[in-house]
Amino acid sequence: MTSVESGADGGRWLDAHYDPVAGLYTFSSCVDLADLSGDGENRLVVGDLGTGSSGMKLKVYRGTALMSENTLLDLPAGLVAFFMDLHEPRIPTIAVASGPCIYLYKNLRPYFKFTLPSLEVNALEQDVWQQAREGQIDPLTLKEMLESIRKKADVPLSIRSLRFLSLEADDLDEFVQLHKQQPIKRQTVITCIDTLKKSTADEDGVSCLVVGTESSDVFILDSKAFIILSKMSLPAPPTMMDVTGQFDVEFRITAACRNGNIYILRRESDKPKYSVELSSHPVGLVRVGKNVLVGCTDESLQGFTQKGKKLWKIVLPAPITTMAPMDLPTRGFQGVLVGLANCEVHLYRDKNLLSTIKTPDVVTSICFGRYGREDGTLIMTTKGGGLMVKILKRTAVFDDRDSAPGPPLAQSIRLNVPKKTKLYVDQTLRERESGVAMHRAFQMDLSRVRLAAAKAYVKALESSLTPMSASLSEPLKMNAVVQGLGPSFKLTLHIQNTAACRPVMNLAISFLYDEKLYRIRDPYMRIPLLVPGLIYPVGTFVDCTNDKGVADIIKVFVLHEGKSSPLLTAHINMPVSEGLAS
Amino acid sequence: ITEEAVTTRENTFFLSECFFPAAPELPIVERNWLIHQHYLRKDYETCKVIIKNQLQETNGMCEYAIYVQALILRLEGRIQESLELLQSCTILNPSSTDNLKQVARSLFLLGKHKAAIEVYHEAARLCDKDWEISHNLGVCFFFIKDFKHAEEHLNAALQINKHDKTFMMLGKVHLVAGETDKAIEVFKRAVEFSPENTEHLSTLGLLYLQLGKYQKAFEHLGNALTFDPNNYKAILAAGSMMQTHGDFDVAMNKYRVAACAVPESPPLWNNIGMCFFGKKKYVAAISCLKRAHYLSPFDWKVLYNLGLVHLTMQQYASAFHFLSAAISLNPRMGELYMLLAVALTNLEDVENSTRAYEQAVNLDESNPLVNLNFAIFLYNHGDKTGALDQYQEMQRKVNILQDSSSSFEFDPELMDMAQKMGAALQVGESLQWTKAGKDSKSKPHSAALAKNPSTPLGTNQALGQAMSSAASYNKNIQLPAGTVASQQSLRNKQWQDFV
Repeated sequence: MTSVESGADGGRWLDAHYDPVAGLYTFSSCVDLADLSGDGENRLVVGDLGTGSSGMKLKVYRGTALMSENTLLDLPAGLVAFFMDLHEPRIPTIAVASGPCIYLYKNLRPYFKFTLPSLEVNALEQDVWQQAREGQIDPLTLKEMLESIRKKADVPLSIRSLRFLSLEADDLDEFVQLHKQQPIKRQTVITCIDTLKKSTADEDGVSCLVVGTESSDVFILDSKAFIILSKMSLPAPPTMMDVTGQFDVEFRITAACRNGNIYILRRESDKPKYSVELSSHPVGLVRVGKNVLVGCTDESLQGFTQKGKKLWKIVLPAPITTMAPMDLPTRGFQGVLVGLANCEVHLYRDKNLLSTIKTPDVVTSICFGRYGREDGTLIMTTKGGGLMVKILKRTAVFDDRDSAPGPPLAQSIRLNVPKKTKLYVDQTLRERESGVAMHRAFQMDLSRVRLAAAKAYVKALESSLTPMSASLSEPLKMNAVVQGLGPSFKLTLHIQNTAACRPVMNLAISFLYDEKLYRIRDPYMRIPLLVPGLIYPVGTFVDCTNDKGVADIIKVFVLHEGKSSPLLTAHINMPVSEGLAS
Repeated sequence: ITEEAVTTRENTFFLSECFFPAAPELPIVERNWLIHQHYLRKDYETCKVIIKNQLQETNGMCEYAIYVQALILRLEGRIQESLELLQSCTILNPSSTDNLKQVARSLFLLGKHKAAIEVYHEAARLCDKDWEISHNLGVCFFFIKDFKHAEEHLNAALQINKHDKTFMMLGKVHLVAGETDKAIEVFKRAVEFSPENTEHLSTLGLLYLQLGKYQKAFEHLGNALTFDPNNYKAILAAGSMMQTHGDFDVAMNKYRVAACAVPESPPLWNNIGMCFFGKKKYVAAISCLKRAHYLSPFDWKVLYNLGLVHLTMQQYASAFHFLSAAISLNPRMGELYMLLAVALTNLEDVENSTRAYEQAVNLDESNPLVNLNFAIFLYNHGDKTGALDQYQEMQRKVNILQDSSSSFEFDPELMDMAQKMGAALQVGESLQWTKAGKDSKSKPHSAALAKNPSTPLGTNQALGQAMSSAASYNKNIQLPAGTVASQQSLRNKQWQDFV
């Protein structure tokens, strides 16, 4: 292995290996380290989910190289290495949980397959299928009856019935013929798996398997005879488990469930003894010493006692992707590694951040332990399928930083106060000297502006320069649209009578424009009777007779017959003609 | 990587076993655990692919896949679609409380609170002791302004299980209903339950501040800052309290942290500006206040402070503009008119100044300063009777303030000025200024704080005002006939914001 110093995390880790294209798609629950050949050298065992629907493999790495690959039949939900007997040499067995089965591998060869016991089948469902087998009911009736059972029953239907219900009418008969002879089975699937020492706490003692299922049960399986030693039930399907203790003495199963709660099971009871209600879903669950650390989707890491009492909560900088314990018994160190979505892995001891490892990609699984002959090895897989191996330096020390960090860094950053220029200071001085004069001049100018504005407004009102007519007898509204690039433009005027019910009659439109620049085809137009509320478009064409690229204003007047002052005036800013004048 | 010989054992062993009967075994395609794993890791793209496959294989009959799909859609903001999917989930499994809860949640997000309440009630029938249902019912009732029911349900939620969220919501319900005492009780319990929750600590601190319990307020704000030194809300409130006591440097240290976190906060720059003002760095103060003004042009407090600083800088013309802008935003405050009058006096506009003073004394109810300044103004312009009226009005206000709290402290400059004024007006009995509270520097002005009792929490409204004095000297106005040259006392109020 080539070792490169990595500087980002205080030089505590050696970069042993990084293969960005290892093609691994896995979770922390499907990664384990075990001495598979009894030579004292640990191998890395990975349950690879392949593409997520095919190509699932059990991969074994030795050093930097892939040593073996076994095809898996279904997606692995979990993988553990454990001792199932006392035979010498002491070689652990690998258990891969997928679907309703546990596949056991010894010496990397398939050894045994254990299937979870079937669940209770709905009695009514069984009856109905029985009738179908005997030909008493036709498939359509069967479908109806199953449908009604599904709605009411406490016990869910079997896969077969559900599949049958989802079929089209044509395929029903064929399906019944094919399946009716078989007994109905209802299977559940495994969601998580862990091990529990049987009677001794020894490293290589015989273990039982602890299996959590979709049907919200937890089974403890004897690894010799593969019988169910104990069955416990939870209020929701478990997603992760942490198991501690020995089956024969006392044990404790901490299970994070899909309803966002954590339940703690003890030996004496088949129901949870304690429960923790979290405010968001748990992503990772790790036990450190006597405390349980839970990483939640709300970007927090929380500590609980064995009895589920909340100890502390810290906020993390990014969402958690995975968590794993970091246990170094030789140094008496226990911590938790937290993979974050911002491409970092944080190491916490209790709530203190000890070290931050930067990774080139988002980490999806973490496993810390003995790999090869190296005790402190950190193995990570990334979202892009990479495999990363880091070794903890023997000289590395993790000192607890003070839990109350001093003043934040930001406190020493200078405030960005905008500077004032010399000009500003000069102006200030001037104001101090002649403030009164400035104020008076300003007030005077302000009054003048107001007067000018008022005058202009009055003028506009008097000469009907506005596009809205305020007169009571002819309340009109007009807007104009100019279309075209030139030299010929289309000018459309939209005229609306805004009165409640009175029509307006005897109106006309005329234009005022520079005759050297423009020619209007109909310089005088009569407007028809205006019904209230409707918009009347009145259009004409304007030709620009000048090719020098000048534009001017055309004034539009709406006139009432017999009155000299216009009702409305609109000023149209003509665009510059882009075409050549004809 | 060195390519080693990879031995791949194709594993046909499991297949060859005689597990298979004549009819093909129906594969169990439920991969709910995988969907859940990806959902937890917020890998929604992968999640959607798996869900799509699973729904294809089960012809859309897989409840959990639809459920997660709906949750993802909701996270993407497609609430209506998520609601429809969740409703189809409840059809697939009508006995699941989870489905009902999520339907209600989607309804809630769509603003259909009444419908959400109905669905939550239905869910509560299936499972009566559920914290989430009670909490969300409380939130729904809060939004339809039925505070009584909201309180009831939130308390029920707290009985089932204690959550920070519920405490926060319950406190908010009490605050909106105007029951500050109850809100404080709730936050006290919340702080007891999770002593490190900075949000509870800072909210409780702000509530104490509002009530004028400075010691407790500072304690809680300090605790909040211990656990989260970057807590913007706590920094602003604590900084403002420090500013009140003249600890400008400490306050500035805190503000620097906040300036890093929220560099575009108008109240923050306002407070920084007033810190500089307190340190007599007027140009920097103007720079900061102008930034605050730029960030929040319609905040009258910033304009008030800008007016004040410009008055101090003797830039009366500029002060006039800022103050008149502040008045057009907040036309019901006596002190603003008083400052405007001071500016106008200095701009030699006696007529408008008188009018501004008149408006100020009309609007103001408790501040003796307004009357004192008016009295000085009238005296300087030869109206002794008017000055005497104002002086008596000031005495009345002073007495009321003294009656309301024995430890009331007046600004020494105000007292000094008033005494000089009394002498000039030859008022016999001099006013008794209570000086009992002088030693307790930590108990500042509480009457000013009580003025804004109705301001809601968590907005940029002032929860308190800090007092500090800065005098504007006026050399032009002389008291006639050998009396002492008068400084026109300007008891200035700085406006600091708490978030």
